[in-house]
Amino acid sequence: MYCPTVVKLYIFWCLQQEECSRPQEEEDIMDIPLDDPEANKAAAKIQAGFRGHMTRKKMKPEDKAEGEEVSRHYG
Amino acid sequence: AFTRVTADDYREAFGLFDRVGDNKVAYNQIADIMRALGQNPTNKEVAKILGNPTPEDMANKRVEFEAFLPMLQFIVNSPNKGTYDDYVEGLRVFDKEGNGTVMGAELRIVLSTLGEKMTEAEIDALMQGQEDENGCVNYEAFVKHIMSV
Repeated sequence: MYCPTVVKLYIFWCLQQEECSRPQEEEDIMDIPLDDPEANKAAAKIQAGFRGHMTRKKMKPEDKAEGEEVSRHYG
Repeated sequence: AFTRVTADDYREAFGLFDRVGDNKVAYNQIADIMRALGQNPTNKEVAKILGNPTPEDMANKRVEFEAFLPMLQFIVNSPNKGTYDDYVEGLRVFDKEGNGTVMGAELRIVLSTLGEKMTEAEIDALMQGQEDENGCVNYEAFVKHIMSV
């Protein structure tokens, strides 16, 4: 019996292979609630926060201190 | 209402995104300008504000600053904004061992299959330097890092 971490990593690897389809058992093992509207809403909120962070990080000038100043000013 | 930051500051940031020189920006730039100005809108929220545009609209329609400002105001005033607690509790769901960490691999799958799916490139950029030698992410530290910029 493989430990859960190895199983998860295998499934993750499998998902990366384009030709790999995803049977129902794998979704259950991963416990990812693909159809749950609340889970999707929570995920969208987190993703929005991540995307905001990444856009602001990209806009930061070379000088880190000045960059933080710019973000705080606009935030 | 704008306090320390004035509409002129927003106008200046808006101008940085005008690549055409017509004092307007494209629909598909609106979300990023809002993010640059400290907001975290979902793509769905932006689409709604823009009247659920087609992909052609997104690429071709342009908005001037005076029309953009109430859009930004709407997002600024949104009651549904993500907080530190929202993000941490959202990630805690995947903390199977209750030890303050989530598997980086699992987080990557969640981000690419739920909600407003992220691309591999987006996820790689986001996760850079966040996983420890075991591939785990301390999500409270991660969220603090996300919210610092």
